[in-house]
Amino acid sequence: MIYRNLKFALNSAWQSFWRNLAVSMAAVISITLILILAGVNLIVGHAFSQVLDGFRAKVSEISINVADGTPLQSVYDFQQQLSADPRVTNVRFITKSEALAQFKLDPNNLVFAQQVDGNPLDAKLQVRVAKLTDVAAIDQVARGWSGVDPSDPTNYQGEFINRMLQLSTWLGFAGVGLLAILVVVSIVIVMNTIRTAVYHRRKEIEVMKLVGATEWFVRGPFVIEGVMTGLIAASLALALLVIAYEPAVARFREDVAFIPLSYDPGFVASLARDLLLGGALLGALGSYIGVRRYVKI
Amino acid sequence: MVLTPDFETRPVISFQHVWKTYPTGTEALRDVNLVVPEGDFVFLVGASGAGKSTMVRLLIREEKPTKGKIFVDGTELGRMKRRHLPRYRRKVGLVFQDFKLLPNLTVYQNVAFALRVLGDAEHTIHSRVTDALDTVGLSAKHQTLPANLSGGEQQRVAIARALVHAPRFIIADEPTGNLDPATAWEIMQLFLRINAKGATVVMATHNREIVDLLRRRVIAIDAGQIARDDRSGRYHDDLSKPQVRAQ
Repeated sequence: MIYRNLKFALNSAWQSFWRNLAVSMAAVISITLILILAGVNLIVGHAFSQVLDGFRAKVSEISINVADGTPLQSVYDFQQQLSADPRVTNVRFITKSEALAQFKLDPNNLVFAQQVDGNPLDAKLQVRVAKLTDVAAIDQVARGWSGVDPSDPTNYQGEFINRMLQLSTWLGFAGVGLLAILVVVSIVIVMNTIRTAVYHRRKEIEVMKLVGATEWFVRGPFVIEGVMTGLIAASLALALLVIAYEPAVARFREDVAFIPLSYDPGFVASLARDLLLGGALLGALGSYIGVRRYVKI
Repeated sequence: MVLTPDFETRPVISFQHVWKTYPTGTEALRDVNLVVPEGDFVFLVGASGAGKSTMVRLLIREEKPTKGKIFVDGTELGRMKRRHLPRYRRKVGLVFQDFKLLPNLTVYQNVAFALRVLGDAEHTIHSRVTDALDTVGLSAKHQTLPANLSGGEQQRVAIARALVHAPRFIIADEPTGNLDPATAWEIMQLFLRINAKGATVVMATHNREIVDLLRRRVIAIDAGQIARDDRSGRYHDDLSKPQVRAQ
Protein backbone atom coordinates (compact mmCIF):
# COMPACT_ATOMS: atom_id res chain seq x y z
CA MET A 1 0.00 0.00 0.00
CA ILE A 2 2.85 2.38 0.82
CA TYR A 3 4.41 1.56 -2.56
CA ARG A 4 1.08 2.17 -4.32
CA ASN A 5 0.58 5.49 -2.50
CA LEU A 6 4.13 6.55 -3.30
CA LYS A 7 3.64 5.64 -6.96
CA PHE A 8 0.39 7.63 -6.99
CA ALA A 9 2.10 10.62 -5.33
CA LEU A 10 4.99 10.52 -7.82
CA ASN A 11 2.63 10.27 -10.80
CA SER A 12 0.42 13.07 -9.48
CA ALA A 13 3.43 15.30 -8.79
CA TRP A 14 4.86 14.70 -12.27
CA GLN A 15 1.52 15.31 -14.02
CA SER A 16 0.78 18.37 -11.92
CA PHE A 17 4.22 19.84 -12.65
CA TRP A 18 3.62 19.68 -16.41
CA ARG A 19 -0.09 20.53 -16.24
CA ASN A 20 0.62 23.75 -14.35
CA LEU A 21 3.78 24.46 -16.30
CA ALA A 22 3.58 28.26 -16.03
CA VAL A 23 3.33 28.17 -12.23
CA SER A 24 5.94 25.39 -12.05
CA MET A 25 8.39 27.40 -14.17
CA ALA A 26 7.82 30.48 -12.01
CA ALA A 27 8.80 28.39 -8.99
CA VAL A 28 11.80 26.88 -10.80
CA ILE A 29 13.07 30.33 -11.87
CA SER A 30 12.59 31.81 -8.36
CA ILE A 31 14.44 28.95 -6.70
CA THR A 32 17.15 28.93 -9.41
CA LEU A 33 17.87 32.63 -8.81
CA ILE A 34 18.01 32.11 -5.07
CA LEU A 35 20.24 29.06 -5.39
CA ILE A 36 22.55 30.98 -7.74
CA LEU A 37 22.90 33.64 -5.04
CA ALA A 38 23.46 30.94 -2.43
CA GLY A 39 25.97 29.21 -4.72
CA VAL A 40 27.86 32.47 -5.36
CA ASN A 41 27.92 32.97 -1.60
CA LEU A 42 29.34 29.48 -1.11
CA ILE A 43 31.94 29.89 -3.88
CA VAL A 44 33.05 33.30 -2.63
CA GLY A 45 33.16 31.95 0.93
CA HIS A 46 35.23 28.98 -0.20
CA ALA A 47 37.61 31.12 -2.27
CA PHE A 48 38.20 33.54 0.59
CA SER A 49 38.63 30.71 3.06
CA GLN A 50 41.30 29.30 0.71
CA VAL A 51 43.04 32.68 0.67
CA LEU A 52 42.70 32.98 4.43
CA ASP A 53 44.01 29.43 4.88
CA GLY A 54 47.09 30.45 2.88
CA PHE A 55 47.64 33.51 5.06
CA ARG A 56 46.87 31.52 8.16
CA ALA A 57 49.46 28.87 7.23
CA LYS A 58 52.02 31.65 6.80
CA VAL A 59 51.32 33.54 9.99
CA SER A 60 50.83 30.49 12.16
CA GLU A 61 54.52 29.73 11.65
CA ILE A 62 56.89 31.92 13.61
CA SER A 63 60.65 32.06 13.43
CA ILE A 64 62.55 32.37 16.70
CA ASN A 65 65.95 33.93 16.09
CA VAL A 66 68.72 32.27 18.11
CA ALA A 67 71.38 34.60 19.52
CA ASP A 68 74.91 33.94 18.33
CA GLY A 69 76.88 32.00 20.91
CA THR A 70 73.92 30.13 22.36
CA PRO A 71 75.04 26.58 23.24
CA LEU A 72 73.65 24.00 20.84
CA GLN A 73 72.37 21.90 23.76
CA SER A 74 70.30 24.86 24.98
CA VAL A 75 68.76 25.18 21.48
CA TYR A 76 67.95 21.43 21.39
CA ASP A 77 66.44 21.60 24.89
CA PHE A 78 64.22 24.50 23.90
CA GLN A 79 63.30 22.73 20.66
CA GLN A 80 62.21 19.71 22.74
CA GLN A 81 60.29 21.90 25.15
CA LEU A 82 58.39 23.47 22.26
CA SER A 83 57.76 20.10 20.58
CA ALA A 84 56.19 18.83 23.80
CA ASP A 85 53.77 21.77 23.86
CA PRO A 86 50.33 20.56 22.62
CA ARG A 87 49.73 23.91 20.86
CA VAL A 88 52.74 23.31 18.63
CA THR A 89 52.57 20.97 15.65
CA ASN A 90 56.17 21.15 14.37
CA VAL A 91 59.53 22.68 15.33
CA ARG A 92 62.44 22.80 12.91
CA PHE A 93 65.96 24.01 13.71
CA ILE A 94 67.67 25.94 10.94
CA THR A 95 71.36 26.53 11.41
CA LYS A 96 73.07 29.80 10.44
CA SER A 97 74.51 28.25 7.25
CA GLU A 98 71.12 26.78 6.27
CA ALA A 99 69.55 30.19 6.91
CA LEU A 100 72.13 31.81 4.63
CA ALA A 101 71.60 29.17 1.92
CA GLN A 102 67.84 29.82 2.06
CA PHE A 103 68.45 33.56 1.92
CA LYS A 104 70.63 33.17 -1.16
CA LEU A 105 68.04 31.00 -2.89
CA ASP A 106 65.63 33.89 -3.04
CA PRO A 107 66.35 35.78 -6.32
CA ASN A 108 65.34 39.06 -4.65
CA ASN A 109 68.31 38.73 -2.29
CA LEU A 110 70.86 37.92 -5.02
CA VAL A 111 72.69 41.32 -5.13
CA PHE A 112 72.60 41.73 -1.37
CA ALA A 113 73.94 38.17 -0.82
CA GLN A 114 76.93 38.90 -3.07
CA GLN A 115 77.84 41.96 -0.99
CA VAL A 116 77.56 40.20 2.36
CA ASP A 117 80.76 39.25 4.05
CA GLY A 118 80.50 36.26 6.40
CA ASN A 119 77.08 35.20 7.75
CA PRO A 120 75.05 37.90 9.52
CA LEU A 121 71.96 35.75 9.76
CA ASP A 122 70.77 34.14 12.98
CA ALA A 123 70.09 30.44 13.38
CA LYS A 124 66.32 29.91 13.76
CA LEU A 125 63.73 27.70 15.31
CA GLN A 126 60.78 27.58 12.92
CA VAL A 127 57.70 26.76 14.95
CA ARG A 128 54.34 25.80 13.40
CA VAL A 129 51.44 26.51 15.78
CA ALA A 130 48.16 24.58 15.45
CA LYS A 131 45.81 27.48 16.15
CA LEU A 132 46.28 31.04 15.02
CA THR A 133 45.01 32.21 18.40
CA ASP A 134 47.90 30.45 20.18
CA VAL A 135 50.67 32.10 18.18
CA ALA A 136 50.88 35.04 20.60
CA ALA A 137 51.36 32.71 23.59
CA ILE A 138 54.12 30.77 21.83
CA ASP A 139 55.76 34.08 20.91
CA GLN A 140 55.75 35.00 24.61
CA VAL A 141 57.38 31.66 25.51
CA ALA A 142 60.05 32.27 22.86
CA ARG A 143 60.76 35.79 24.10
CA GLY A 144 61.25 34.42 27.60
CA TRP A 145 63.91 31.93 26.45
CA SER A 146 67.49 32.87 27.34
CA GLY A 147 68.88 31.90 23.91
CA VAL A 148 66.70 34.24 21.87
CA ASP A 149 68.28 37.10 19.96
CA PRO A 150 67.24 40.12 22.07
CA SER A 151 67.58 42.58 19.18
CA ASP A 152 65.21 40.66 16.88
CA PRO A 153 63.53 37.87 18.93
CA THR A 154 60.83 36.62 16.52
CA ASN A 155 59.03 37.52 13.31
CA TYR A 156 55.62 37.51 15.09
CA GLN A 157 53.19 40.06 13.66
CA GLY A 158 50.51 40.28 16.32
CA GLU A 159 48.57 43.14 14.77
CA PHE A 160 48.33 41.40 11.39
CA ILE A 161 47.18 38.15 13.00
CA ASN A 162 44.52 39.95 15.02
CA ARG A 163 43.21 41.61 11.88
CA MET A 164 43.25 38.26 10.10
CA LEU A 165 41.27 36.69 12.93
CA GLN A 166 38.77 39.55 12.90
CA LEU A 167 38.40 39.39 9.13
CA SER A 168 37.93 35.64 9.26
CA THR A 169 35.26 35.96 11.97
CA TRP A 170 33.40 38.72 10.13
CA LEU A 171 33.52 36.86 6.83
CA GLY A 172 32.10 33.79 8.60
CA PHE A 173 29.27 35.84 10.15
CA ALA A 174 28.53 37.60 6.87
CA GLY A 175 28.41 34.30 4.98
CA VAL A 176 26.11 32.63 7.50
CA GLY A 177 23.93 35.77 7.73
CA LEU A 178 23.60 36.06 3.96
CA LEU A 179 22.82 32.36 3.66
CA ALA A 180 20.18 32.61 6.42
CA ILE A 181 18.53 35.58 4.65
CA LEU A 182 18.56 33.68 1.36
CA VAL A 183 17.02 30.61 3.00
CA VAL A 184 14.19 32.62 4.60
CA VAL A 185 13.50 34.60 1.40
CA SER A 186 13.53 31.47 -0.72
CA ILE A 187 11.17 29.60 1.63
CA VAL A 188 8.73 32.51 1.47
CA ILE A 189 8.96 32.65 -2.34
CA VAL A 190 8.60 28.89 -2.76
CA MET A 191 5.77 28.83 -0.23
CA ASN A 192 3.85 31.53 -2.09
CA THR A 193 4.49 29.98 -5.48
CA ILE A 194 3.30 26.58 -4.25
CA ARG A 195 0.34 28.25 -2.54
CA THR A 196 -0.66 29.71 -5.90
CA ALA A 197 -0.40 26.23 -7.43
CA VAL A 198 -2.43 24.80 -4.56
CA TYR A 199 -5.05 27.54 -4.89
CA HIS A 200 -5.58 26.51 -8.52
CA ARG A 201 -6.11 22.95 -7.34
CA ARG A 202 -8.22 23.62 -4.24
CA LYS A 203 -11.24 21.90 -5.81
CA GLU A 204 -9.19 18.78 -6.42
CA ILE A 205 -8.00 18.89 -2.82
CA GLU A 206 -11.57 19.31 -1.58
CA VAL A 207 -12.65 16.25 -3.56
CA MET A 208 -9.66 14.27 -2.28
CA LYS A 209 -10.63 15.07 1.30
CA LEU A 210 -14.31 14.28 0.73
CA VAL A 211 -13.56 10.82 -0.63
CA GLY A 212 -11.44 10.03 2.42
CA ALA A 213 -7.88 10.93 1.48
CA THR A 214 -5.60 11.38 4.48
CA GLU A 215 -3.75 14.66 4.96
CA TRP A 216 -0.53 13.02 3.84
CA PHE A 217 -2.17 11.50 0.77
CA VAL A 218 -3.16 15.03 -0.28
CA ARG A 219 0.06 16.65 0.86
CA GLY A 220 2.43 13.99 -0.56
CA PRO A 221 2.17 14.92 -4.26
CA PHE A 222 2.66 18.61 -3.45
CA VAL A 223 5.75 17.94 -1.34
CA ILE A 224 7.19 15.68 -4.05
CA GLU A 225 6.40 18.33 -6.64
CA GLY A 226 8.24 20.84 -4.43
CA VAL A 227 11.27 18.52 -4.20
CA MET A 228 11.17 18.05 -7.99
CA THR A 229 10.98 21.81 -8.53
CA GLY A 230 13.86 22.33 -6.09
CA LEU A 231 16.04 19.70 -7.79
CA ILE A 232 15.43 21.10 -11.28
CA ALA A 233 16.21 24.60 -10.01
CA ALA A 234 19.35 23.34 -8.23
CA SER A 235 20.54 21.59 -11.41
CA LEU A 236 20.05 24.77 -13.44
CA ALA A 237 21.78 26.92 -10.82
CA LEU A 238 24.65 24.41 -10.57
CA ALA A 239 25.12 24.28 -14.35
CA LEU A 240 25.29 28.08 -14.57
CA LEU A 241 27.67 28.36 -11.61
CA VAL A 242 29.98 25.61 -12.90
CA ILE A 243 30.14 27.33 -16.30
CA ALA A 244 30.87 30.72 -14.72
CA TYR A 245 33.14 29.61 -11.85
CA GLU A 246 36.55 29.31 -13.61
CA PRO A 247 36.23 32.38 -15.89
CA ALA A 248 35.00 34.46 -12.94
CA VAL A 249 37.98 33.48 -10.79
CA ALA A 250 40.37 34.20 -13.68
CA ARG A 251 38.78 37.62 -14.23
CA PHE A 252 38.96 38.39 -10.51
CA ARG A 253 42.66 37.50 -10.40
CA GLU A 254 43.29 39.84 -13.34
CA ASP A 255 41.40 42.71 -11.74
CA VAL A 256 42.38 42.20 -8.08
CA ALA A 257 45.82 40.69 -8.31
CA PHE A 258 46.74 41.16 -4.64
CA ILE A 259 44.09 38.64 -3.50
CA PRO A 260 45.34 35.22 -4.62
CA LEU A 261 41.93 33.69 -5.43
CA SER A 262 42.14 30.26 -7.03
CA TYR A 263 39.82 27.93 -8.98
CA ASP A 264 39.20 24.70 -7.07
CA PRO A 265 37.61 21.99 -9.27
CA GLY A 266 37.30 19.75 -6.18
CA PHE A 267 34.82 22.24 -4.69
CA VAL A 268 32.30 21.62 -7.50
CA ALA A 269 31.29 18.23 -6.02
CA SER A 270 30.64 19.77 -2.61
CA LEU A 271 28.79 22.70 -4.27
CA ALA A 272 26.62 20.22 -6.23
CA ARG A 273 25.78 18.31 -3.05
CA ASP A 274 24.91 21.50 -1.14
CA LEU A 275 22.79 23.01 -3.92
CA LEU A 276 20.87 19.79 -4.72
CA LEU A 277 20.23 19.12 -1.06
CA GLY A 278 19.33 22.77 -0.46
CA GLY A 279 17.02 22.86 -3.49
CA ALA A 280 15.23 19.66 -2.48
CA LEU A 281 14.81 20.85 1.12
CA LEU A 282 13.62 24.31 0.06
CA GLY A 283 11.08 22.80 -2.33
CA ALA A 284 9.84 20.31 0.24
CA LEU A 285 9.60 22.85 3.05
CA GLY A 286 8.00 25.52 0.86
CA SER A 287 5.38 23.03 -0.34
CA TYR A 288 4.75 21.63 3.12
CA ILE A 289 4.04 25.09 4.53
CA GLY A 290 2.24 26.37 1.41
CA VAL A 291 -0.18 23.48 1.25
CA ARG A 292 -0.91 23.31 4.98
CA ARG A 293 -3.90 25.63 5.03
CA TYR A 294 -5.70 23.75 2.27
CA VAL A 295 -5.06 20.15 3.22
CA LYS A 296 -6.16 20.46 6.83
CA ILE A 297 -9.12 18.11 7.14
CA MET B 1 -38.84 13.68 21.06
CA VAL B 2 -38.14 9.95 21.44
CA LEU B 3 -34.45 9.30 20.96
CA THR B 4 -34.52 5.55 21.03
CA PRO B 5 -36.03 4.49 17.73
CA ASP B 6 -38.95 2.14 17.47
CA PHE B 7 -37.72 0.97 14.09
CA GLU B 8 -37.02 -2.71 13.60
CA THR B 9 -33.57 -2.14 12.12
CA ARG B 10 -30.69 -0.56 14.03
CA PRO B 11 -30.06 3.20 13.67
CA VAL B 12 -27.28 4.29 11.35
CA ILE B 13 -27.63 8.00 12.00
CA SER B 14 -28.78 9.63 15.19
CA PHE B 15 -28.92 13.34 16.12
CA GLN B 16 -29.35 13.93 19.85
CA HIS B 17 -30.28 17.48 20.91
CA VAL B 18 -28.02 18.93 18.23
CA TRP B 19 -27.44 22.67 18.09
CA LYS B 20 -25.25 24.43 15.59
CA THR B 21 -24.35 28.09 15.88
CA TYR B 22 -21.84 29.51 13.43
CA PRO B 23 -19.12 31.94 14.60
CA THR B 24 -21.15 34.75 12.97
CA GLY B 25 -23.89 34.05 15.52
CA THR B 26 -26.28 32.42 13.02
CA GLU B 27 -28.21 29.66 14.71
CA ALA B 28 -28.44 27.05 11.94
CA LEU B 29 -29.83 24.14 13.99
CA ARG B 30 -31.77 24.21 17.24
CA ASP B 31 -32.23 21.11 19.33
CA VAL B 32 -32.52 18.66 16.46
CA ASN B 33 -33.34 15.05 17.34
CA LEU B 34 -33.42 12.47 14.63
CA VAL B 35 -32.90 8.75 14.07
CA VAL B 36 -32.32 7.14 10.67
CA PRO B 37 -32.41 3.35 10.66
CA GLU B 38 -30.31 1.20 8.37
CA GLY B 39 -31.69 0.95 4.82
CA ASP B 40 -33.91 4.02 5.15
CA PHE B 41 -34.41 6.58 2.39
CA VAL B 42 -34.80 10.05 3.88
CA PHE B 43 -35.57 13.33 2.14
CA LEU B 44 -34.52 16.49 4.00
CA VAL B 45 -36.70 19.31 2.73
CA GLY B 46 -37.07 22.95 3.64
CA ALA B 47 -36.49 26.45 2.41
CA SER B 48 -33.00 27.69 1.63
CA GLY B 49 -31.26 28.57 4.88
CA ALA B 50 -33.55 26.27 6.90
CA GLY B 51 -30.62 24.12 8.03
CA LYS B 52 -30.51 21.22 5.52
CA SER B 53 -27.00 21.93 4.30
CA THR B 54 -25.78 22.35 7.87
CA MET B 55 -27.14 18.88 8.62
CA VAL B 56 -25.26 17.52 5.60
CA ARG B 57 -22.07 19.32 6.65
CA LEU B 58 -22.41 17.89 10.14
CA LEU B 59 -22.94 14.40 8.71
CA ILE B 60 -19.75 14.55 6.64
CA ARG B 61 -17.99 16.18 9.58
CA GLU B 62 -17.11 19.38 7.78
CA GLU B 63 -18.64 21.00 10.87
CA LYS B 64 -18.99 19.95 14.50
CA PRO B 65 -22.18 20.50 16.50
CA THR B 66 -22.08 23.36 19.00
CA LYS B 67 -24.13 21.26 21.43
CA GLY B 68 -25.52 17.74 21.35
CA LYS B 69 -24.29 14.53 19.80
CA ILE B 70 -24.36 12.98 16.35
CA PHE B 71 -23.81 9.26 16.02
CA VAL B 72 -23.13 7.63 12.67
CA ASP B 73 -22.76 3.88 12.63
CA GLY B 74 -22.01 3.94 16.35
CA THR B 75 -19.35 6.63 16.18
CA GLU B 76 -19.87 10.03 17.75
CA LEU B 77 -18.80 12.49 15.08
CA GLY B 78 -18.17 15.42 17.42
CA ARG B 79 -15.56 13.47 19.36
CA MET B 80 -13.97 11.85 16.34
CA LYS B 81 -10.24 12.61 16.07
CA ARG B 82 -9.06 14.35 12.94
CA ARG B 83 -6.86 11.42 12.02
CA HIS B 84 -9.90 9.09 11.95
CA LEU B 85 -11.88 11.36 9.65
CA PRO B 86 -10.55 9.96 6.34
CA ARG B 87 -11.51 6.45 7.42
CA TYR B 88 -15.02 7.67 8.32
CA ARG B 89 -15.48 9.46 5.00
CA ARG B 90 -14.54 6.29 3.13
CA LYS B 91 -17.63 4.65 4.64
CA VAL B 92 -19.86 7.38 3.25
CA GLY B 93 -20.86 7.98 -0.37
CA LEU B 94 -21.17 11.71 -1.07
CA VAL B 95 -23.06 13.28 -3.97
CA PHE B 96 -23.29 17.04 -4.47
CA GLN B 97 -25.27 19.42 -6.63
CA ASP B 98 -22.10 20.65 -8.38
CA PHE B 99 -20.84 17.06 -8.93
CA LYS B 100 -17.32 17.84 -7.62
CA LEU B 101 -15.55 15.93 -10.37
CA LEU B 102 -11.86 16.42 -11.10
CA PRO B 103 -11.81 18.18 -14.50
CA ASN B 104 -8.46 16.81 -15.63
CA LEU B 105 -9.35 13.18 -14.99
CA THR B 106 -11.43 10.94 -17.24
CA VAL B 107 -14.70 9.35 -16.10
CA TYR B 108 -12.81 6.15 -15.21
CA GLN B 109 -10.06 8.03 -13.34
CA ASN B 110 -12.58 10.11 -11.39
CA VAL B 111 -14.34 7.01 -10.13
CA ALA B 112 -11.06 5.17 -9.54
CA PHE B 113 -9.84 8.10 -7.47
CA ALA B 114 -12.07 7.13 -4.54
CA LEU B 115 -10.31 3.74 -4.45
CA ARG B 116 -6.81 5.09 -4.99
CA VAL B 117 -7.03 7.04 -1.74
CA LEU B 118 -7.69 3.70 -0.06
CA GLY B 119 -4.52 2.30 -1.61
CA ASP B 120 -6.41 -0.48 -3.41
CA ALA B 121 -4.58 -2.70 -5.91
CA GLU B 122 -4.95 -1.87 -9.61
CA HIS B 123 -6.91 -5.05 -10.47
CA THR B 124 -9.40 -4.38 -7.62
CA ILE B 125 -9.78 -0.79 -8.78
CA HIS B 126 -10.39 -1.91 -12.36
CA SER B 127 -13.11 -4.44 -11.54
CA ARG B 128 -14.92 -2.17 -9.05
CA VAL B 129 -14.80 0.90 -11.29
CA THR B 130 -16.10 -1.17 -14.21
CA ASP B 131 -18.99 -2.43 -12.04
CA ALA B 132 -19.81 1.09 -10.78
CA LEU B 133 -19.80 2.52 -14.31
CA ASP B 134 -22.06 -0.35 -15.45
CA THR B 135 -24.47 0.48 -12.62
CA VAL B 136 -24.75 4.12 -13.71
CA GLY B 137 -24.72 3.23 -17.41
CA LEU B 138 -21.54 5.07 -18.34
CA SER B 139 -19.21 2.22 -19.34
CA ALA B 140 -19.04 3.48 -22.92
CA LYS B 141 -17.81 6.90 -21.81
CA HIS B 142 -15.11 5.80 -19.40
CA GLN B 143 -12.38 7.66 -21.31
CA THR B 144 -14.32 10.92 -21.57
CA LEU B 145 -13.43 14.06 -19.62
CA PRO B 146 -16.19 15.60 -17.45
CA ALA B 147 -16.32 18.74 -19.61
CA ASN B 148 -17.56 16.61 -22.52
CA LEU B 149 -20.47 15.12 -20.53
CA SER B 150 -23.98 16.44 -19.95
CA GLY B 151 -25.04 17.49 -16.43
CA GLY B 152 -26.91 14.23 -15.91
CA GLU B 153 -23.90 12.20 -17.04
CA GLN B 154 -21.61 14.15 -14.73
CA GLN B 155 -23.95 13.47 -11.83
CA ARG B 156 -23.94 9.76 -12.73
CA VAL B 157 -20.13 9.79 -12.61
CA ALA B 158 -20.34 11.38 -9.16
CA ILE B 159 -22.80 8.67 -8.09
CA ALA B 160 -20.50 5.95 -9.47
CA ARG B 161 -17.67 7.47 -7.44
CA ALA B 162 -19.88 7.52 -4.34
CA LEU B 163 -20.81 3.87 -4.91
CA VAL B 164 -17.49 2.41 -5.92
CA HIS B 165 -16.29 1.63 -2.41
CA ALA B 166 -19.66 0.09 -1.49
CA PRO B 167 -20.59 2.60 1.23
CA ARG B 168 -23.24 1.71 3.81
CA PHE B 169 -24.86 5.08 3.45
CA ILE B 170 -25.10 7.81 0.85
CA ILE B 171 -25.44 11.50 1.64
CA ALA B 172 -26.64 13.60 -1.25
CA ASP B 173 -26.91 17.39 -1.16
CA GLU B 174 -29.30 18.65 -3.87
CA PRO B 175 -28.16 15.99 -6.38
CA THR B 176 -30.82 16.97 -8.93
CA GLY B 177 -30.51 20.72 -8.39
CA ASN B 178 -28.69 21.36 -11.68
CA LEU B 179 -30.63 18.85 -13.80
CA ASP B 180 -33.69 18.99 -16.02
CA PRO B 181 -36.76 17.03 -14.78
CA ALA B 182 -36.21 13.98 -17.01
CA THR B 183 -32.54 13.65 -16.03
CA ALA B 184 -33.38 14.29 -12.39
CA TRP B 185 -35.82 11.39 -12.51
CA GLU B 186 -33.15 9.11 -14.04
CA ILE B 187 -30.77 10.07 -11.25
CA MET B 188 -33.46 9.36 -8.65
CA GLN B 189 -33.97 5.90 -10.15
CA LEU B 190 -30.29 5.26 -9.54
CA PHE B 191 -30.59 6.31 -5.89
CA LEU B 192 -33.61 4.04 -5.48
CA ARG B 193 -31.66 1.09 -6.89
CA ILE B 194 -28.77 1.82 -4.55
CA ASN B 195 -31.19 2.00 -1.63
CA ALA B 196 -32.85 -1.26 -2.70
CA LYS B 197 -29.46 -2.95 -2.43
CA GLY B 198 -29.34 -1.98 1.26
CA ALA B 199 -27.57 1.41 1.42
CA THR B 200 -29.12 4.09 3.61
CA VAL B 201 -29.76 7.31 1.67
CA VAL B 202 -30.10 10.80 3.16
CA MET B 203 -30.91 13.41 0.53
CA ALA B 204 -31.35 17.14 0.94
CA THR B 205 -33.54 18.38 -1.90
CA HIS B 206 -35.81 21.11 -3.23
CA ASN B 207 -37.31 18.82 -5.86
CA ARG B 208 -40.97 18.78 -4.91
CA GLU B 209 -42.16 16.54 -7.79
CA ILE B 210 -39.75 13.77 -6.94
CA VAL B 211 -40.44 13.90 -3.20
CA ASP B 212 -44.19 13.81 -3.79
CA LEU B 213 -43.92 11.00 -6.31
CA LEU B 214 -41.70 8.69 -4.27
CA ARG B 215 -43.54 9.06 -0.93
CA ARG B 216 -40.54 8.16 1.17
CA ARG B 217 -39.66 9.43 4.63
CA VAL B 218 -39.65 13.24 4.61
CA ILE B 219 -38.06 15.38 7.30
CA ALA B 220 -38.99 19.02 6.91
CA ILE B 221 -36.59 21.52 8.45
CA ASP B 222 -37.73 25.00 9.31
CA ALA B 223 -35.60 27.67 10.98
CA GLY B 224 -33.15 25.07 12.24
CA GLN B 225 -35.76 22.75 13.74
CA ILE B 226 -37.52 19.62 12.57
CA ALA B 227 -40.98 20.82 11.62
CA ARG B 228 -42.25 17.48 10.40
CA ASP B 229 -41.05 13.87 10.11
CA ASP B 230 -43.38 11.71 8.00
CA ARG B 231 -42.77 8.06 7.23
CA SER B 232 -44.39 8.37 3.82
CA GLY B 233 -44.39 12.09 3.29
CA ARG B 234 -44.87 14.78 0.74
CA TYR B 235 -42.92 17.95 0.13
CA HIS B 236 -45.67 20.12 1.65
CA ASP B 237 -47.68 18.43 4.34
CA ASP B 238 -50.02 21.34 4.75
CA LEU B 239 -50.18 24.31 2.44
CA SER B 240 -50.91 26.46 5.46
CA LYS B 241 -47.28 25.97 6.48
CA PRO B 242 -45.40 28.22 4.08
CA GLN B 243 -42.13 27.77 5.92
CA VAL B 244 -41.50 24.35 4.40
CA ARG B 245 -42.30 25.35 0.85
CA ALA B 246 -39.62 25.19 -1.78
CA GLN B 247 -38.14 28.46 -3.00
